[in-house]
Amino acid sequence: MEFCWQPEYLTFRDEVETFIHEWRTPELLKEQREREGAGGGPILTRYYEALQEKGWMKMCWPPDLGGEGRNPIYRFIMVETMEYWQMPYGNLTYTSVAPALALHGNDEQKKRFLPGIWDGDYTFAIGYSEPNAGTDLAALRTRAEKVDGGWIVQGQKIWTSLAAQSTHIWLAVRTDTEGPKHAGISLMIVETKTEGITIRPLPTLSGFVTYETFYDNVFIPDENLIGPLNGGWNIIMHALNHERVGLSPTGNLARNYDLLVDHLKNKAPEKLKDPVVRNRLAEMKMQLQRHRALAIRNAITIAQDDVSPGQASMAKISGSELRYRMTNTAMDLLGRAGALTDEAGDLAASDGRQQSTWRSSPILRFGGGTNEVQRSIIAARHLGMSR
Amino acid sequence: MDLDYTETQELLRDTLRGFLEAEVPFSQVRECEIEKRSDDKLWAQLVEHGYLGLPFPSTIGGGDGGFVEAGILIEEVSRRAAVVPIVEVLTAAITLQRHCPGSSEVVGDILNGSAIVVPAVLEANDSFDSFELAASADGALRGEKRFVDYAAVATHHLVSAVGAEGPGLYLVDARDPAVKCEPIPTLGRTPQSVVRYDGAASIRVGERDAAAALVQIGRALTCVQLLACMDASLEQTVAYTNVREQFGRPLSTFQAVQHHAADMGMHAESSRFLVYEALDCLERDVATDEQIAVTKASLSRAVPDVVMTGHQLHGGQGYIEENDLYFFTIRGKDRALAWGTAEECLEIVAANVEDKAQWL
Repeated sequence: MEFCWQPEYLTFRDEVETFIHEWRTPELLKEQREREGAGGGPILTRYYEALQEKGWMKMCWPPDLGGEGRNPIYRFIMVETMEYWQMPYGNLTYTSVAPALALHGNDEQKKRFLPGIWDGDYTFAIGYSEPNAGTDLAALRTRAEKVDGGWIVQGQKIWTSLAAQSTHIWLAVRTDTEGPKHAGISLMIVETKTEGITIRPLPTLSGFVTYETFYDNVFIPDENLIGPLNGGWNIIMHALNHERVGLSPTGNLARNYDLLVDHLKNKAPEKLKDPVVRNRLAEMKMQLQRHRALAIRNAITIAQDDVSPGQASMAKISGSELRYRMTNTAMDLLGRAGALTDEAGDLAASDGRQQSTWRSSPILRFGGGTNEVQRSIIAARHLGMSR
Repeated sequence: MDLDYTETQELLRDTLRGFLEAEVPFSQVRECEIEKRSDDKLWAQLVEHGYLGLPFPSTIGGGDGGFVEAGILIEEVSRRAAVVPIVEVLTAAITLQRHCPGSSEVVGDILNGSAIVVPAVLEANDSFDSFELAASADGALRGEKRFVDYAAVATHHLVSAVGAEGPGLYLVDARDPAVKCEPIPTLGRTPQSVVRYDGAASIRVGERDAAAALVQIGRALTCVQLLACMDASLEQTVAYTNVREQFGRPLSTFQAVQHHAADMGMHAESSRFLVYEALDCLERDVATDEQIAVTKASLSRAVPDVVMTGHQLHGGQGYIEENDLYFFTIRGKDRALAWGTAEECLEIVAANVEDKAQWL
């Protein structure tokens, strides 16, 4: 047992921090906010180029997929550090679509899409969920009918985030209605500008806008079917193991804590002397340590090439629920100032970050597999409870 | 980061588990509770097999292990709810060995079973930071210590007291007639006393830093007991829900039951990391008071939630004392209060809230 990071990881963390401080300008942060994480703006494009040059996007990919096969701990350190500073390090296009393409696409498809992804020219929206297929995703009904040279798609997707900013949609469609429902799903790529696709914005509680997408006689050519026909479920369920290392980081929560204390120190020093306030802060630090324990435990298991669905679920539940609890307490401690948004200027605490994080906390609890599903996974696969 | 036991440590855990399961039936634990005594037979076995010496250098009769081995030993003994002064003696002995120069003889006596040394720290003010018990120039101790676990079983007490040289640790022969132990019944059903020292002879064995180390070590090792209570309660609860049927199916198939158990499991998992991280940091001499306090606060908070959820899922079956569940409930809560409650420990953390949060 040794509960400390080996020197090579600490050196890497320093390298990431140096890189972040070089790039973390108000202009970049503004562009990131405006583009809602889609990438593609002038500063973010250069930033992503620099990130590519460092080789950090694919460093933990297996060599046969074009990566360096580095230990997933490097990815964990990068994610945690980026999260602390709230810097972008790749959206689902990089972490989900690209690996799936590399694994399941044919040579022609890889040549056609991967360079555009790595150059930042292509951004993908994910079209999985439907109004009646959420947690029960295999119930999806958007239908693709075979026609000469391709498919005609009819249906509707929801939570197609980044649809308006993306060049492509990574689409799960029903290609077979007989047999088990998960065995009739295929994955296809469709260009967002294709005729018949309508995009409707759905502003969310967090301020982030997600989208509903409608498919009315949309033609998708044969060469855009990814993987085998009716083999989409495996692709959806599969993710590169190493991507799960940073699934529920401690960094951004720690940053919330540090910003809260900074605000109290500078703007409300009397409050910071209050023993009740200090006790609440101490409790937050304790909660952070509990979460950090689960996040690192999950990362180390993955780095050992083991699979523990229970540990991943624990990290996911813990981080998402703590996000709510911490920001909720932080707002209580700030008083009415805790409700002010960044537009309130100097009066707002830490640019209104506590309330904005509070607002965005629900999605992490129900998204990515609801916490109820995660708890059942822990019960069955970690504790050995019979189902 | 290496979060796992070595092969040798795993083997040690398995050996200890097998040995204790065979040698300490819960009926034996119940007898100790009813007769209000410690399990002297088990203690003799722990000494005889060399288990007690695991965390000490072989030069004084130990097994060349460290804090992690101490953790494994305490965990296994606590999973049987055994009534032995394992945390108390290891806390005293490790403090003596690492922080009190010239104490190797008494540590050797502890390891060979001829001495049982337990700490005596808290007084009427219930504070780890200030003690008033006085040592005169000739070493005579006068005053009272409270909540002294296994005081009447011990041959010696390691007492924090104030002498002419300032605060320090004093070793007292507990069989001295000037030492009077008055048993006090507790929720945990393990022997505890109020101890009066009426001019008892003592020798000063450690300075102020040793007295502080004693608290840090006692606190960390108590966390291991808490972890064991949590694990034992959880494992028994999972096993029960897998076999107990209602409405024609096992309790474990009900989501409400699964989700309670999952929350217990999360506490157990994060606690295991924090406890062994604390032990490893103590071993590498990098542990801070804040780290140990965070760990103790976290476990002291988690354990009552976990064991009481265990009762909820057992229903009436877990409420009767024929069932073994209660051992971990009462020991768990007692240990949650020992060596610093959640509130006391959070106060230590509260002193440094301005420090940046640790996140990697």
